[in-house]
Amino acid sequence: MIDPGIVRGRLNQVFREVFDEDDLQIFDAMSAADLEEWDSLSHITLVLAVEKEFRVRLNAAEVGKLDNVGQMIDLLARRATA
Amino acid sequence: MSPRTEGSPETSAPDLRDRLATVKRLAAEGDSAAARAMLRSLASPDDDFVTQARLARVLSSLPSAGLGAKPLRIAILAASTVDHFADVLRFWLALEGFAADLWIAPFDTIIPSALDVAGPLYAFAPDLIWLFTSNRDVRIEVTDDRSAVDAVAAAVQRTQSLWEALRSRRECTILQNNADIPAIDGLGNFATQTGSSRRNLLRRYNLELAAAAPHGVMLFDLEHLSALHGKARWNDGRYWYHSKHAFAPDSYGRVAFQAARLISALAGKARKCLIVDLDNTLWGGTIGDDGLAGLQLGSGADGEAFVDFQRWLVGLKERGVILAVCSKNEEDAAKEPFLAHPDCVLRLEDFAMFRANWNSKANNICDIANALNIGLDSLVFVDDSPLERDAVRSHLPEVAVPELPADPAQYIEAIDRHGYFETVGLSAEDRERTRFYRENAARAELQGRLSDIGEYLGALGMVAEVADLDAFHLPRMAQLINKSNQFHLTGTRYTEAELARLASQPGHVVRYVKLRDRIGDNGLIAVIVLVKSPRRELLVETWVMSCRVLGRTLEEFICNDIVETARRMSCRTVVGRYVPGPRNRLVAGLYERLGFRGIGELNGGTGWSLAVDRETPALKTHIESARPSMEGAA
Repeated sequence: MIDPGIVRGRLNQVFREVFDEDDLQIFDAMSAADLEEWDSLSHITLVLAVEKEFRVRLNAAEVGKLDNVGQMIDLLARRATA
Repeated sequence: MSPRTEGSPETSAPDLRDRLATVKRLAAEGDSAAARAMLRSLASPDDDFVTQARLARVLSSLPSAGLGAKPLRIAILAASTVDHFADVLRFWLALEGFAADLWIAPFDTIIPSALDVAGPLYAFAPDLIWLFTSNRDVRIEVTDDRSAVDAVAAAVQRTQSLWEALRSRRECTILQNNADIPAIDGLGNFATQTGSSRRNLLRRYNLELAAAAPHGVMLFDLEHLSALHGKARWNDGRYWYHSKHAFAPDSYGRVAFQAARLISALAGKARKCLIVDLDNTLWGGTIGDDGLAGLQLGSGADGEAFVDFQRWLVGLKERGVILAVCSKNEEDAAKEPFLAHPDCVLRLEDFAMFRANWNSKANNICDIANALNIGLDSLVFVDDSPLERDAVRSHLPEVAVPELPADPAQYIEAIDRHGYFETVGLSAEDRERTRFYRENAARAELQGRLSDIGEYLGALGMVAEVADLDAFHLPRMAQLINKSNQFHLTGTRYTEAELARLASQPGHVVRYVKLRDRIGDNGLIAVIVLVKSPRRELLVETWVMSCRVLGRTLEEFICNDIVETARRMSCRTVVGRYVPGPRNRLVAGLYERLGFRGIGELNGGTGWSLAVDRETPALKTHIESARPSMEGAA
């Protein structure tokens, strides 16, 4: 289990890089509806970037559920290997 | 462009972050050229998808105005998700100098898109249609080993029908993926000796597909790329089942890089000439200090590696890459290994130019480019010395200078991975190319000895053979048109089939010129396409010439031939056109020099006209005609 606060900071950096927005701030309830560029295609890029940053391989069922930031942080805190 | 990988180590994540911040800062300050150069230096085909996507995003946000990027329209037809790949492809194409406009057919509509002549595929008017298939799209139904051959033939036939459907509706190049053979086969190792195994069916399919591909259809070797990337990680079921990606996104950089290089070669932008250093590049040790017997060449690990490197260079030469030497050495000593070392594979006659002196390499490289009459952007320079590499890079940024590892065992891989010399066809001329250029250097020497240019041209004793298109010369004619950039008046490109069809139409003349002289045979060096208009004008639709025969009064000779042809076809005027392109300034003033009169704007270029009557004088040329036949010109 990694500290969710640390996960949050790293995840925020991933969001900034994937969406190329240097001052983007994530929040728990944030979902695709809150970010214009967060569509089904960029969602895949986001998942790949998350996998790389946290050195995890997420399965289809897990990826399917990752539609808000709070869920992502929970999952990554449990699953992240580094 | 030089992908980073073989030289510097992988850029770490925070490092990449800093550098991308610098790229953005440079762009914000308005220096988008520097921003692009830096981004280019960060890009490597080996990087994973996340990095590729980031670089692609940053590049797409930079202003591209004023870069002279070549517009290119590519339609991608696939039964898999290609959107993420398309972003990476656009990025690598941009690094090759293309402003690519990509159109992606709706998911899994390959056949309906191809058939619908009024549909969006043809409305997009692509320059290139990419059938982005994978092994999943290759249906081969087989019951036993005996039916394997027929079943594969039927699958190839289906693909061929698709090519024909596309080509009958749009004249453009088709890029066709071959089948990436999956890592897993139910038969395990035994799949390799079972004719009806999926693995062997796909192997057979790939070979038959290559045999069936006509000119105008280029195969894209996805199978090879899957092996290069590593088959164990090429297929990632998670992405197929979840999002229908045909293969792992982490391979996209490699696939896109290879595609961009191939597309660049299709556009005639591949490199043409490899310039090598000598000491510690072609052999170990220095000839000046160690002497012939002291060189590492032939025996020992390094000695064997240098021999294989030389063999590889000979192979490049034989497929048409020009070789030249640029070395800081005494000329006599530098030539000694080629003449006297028993294990030296390369011979002096393998090089079109041999520059061994104490001048700066940048100067020598410019001299070589001038003497061979090719652009600096056609050159690759290979040198073991990091100092020399850096000096050439900073003085001549157009020259490609790959990083070279310290170990000669890795030289070949370090150069090959860049794909500098991608080709889209081979002609008989390719094998002879170094000889042509070497003979040109001999001509330059003759010219140096004779003070008067007329005297020199007379002494050359040039004879030209002019004839209309035939099947034997067709491949070289198409190649010359498609690879010529500088002496190309209208920038037209034709496939072999288009050229042959033009030649068969009434009122059309498609003609080649070969030139030989006292020093050697220059081969087929010019092509013209003439079209008679209803108003009895003879239009010069295409005029290309190899730059290795410039300054020999061949332009005048060809102009005389055009005028004579106009007379025979009862035309009253010859109308030429100059369409400015990125690299054909050389011929901007050609028609004026040949006595044509400007007639203003004409079909995207400037028009030039020459009245043809009995009095039209023949221009002075030093070339005699050895015309084999006069038929076919009407």
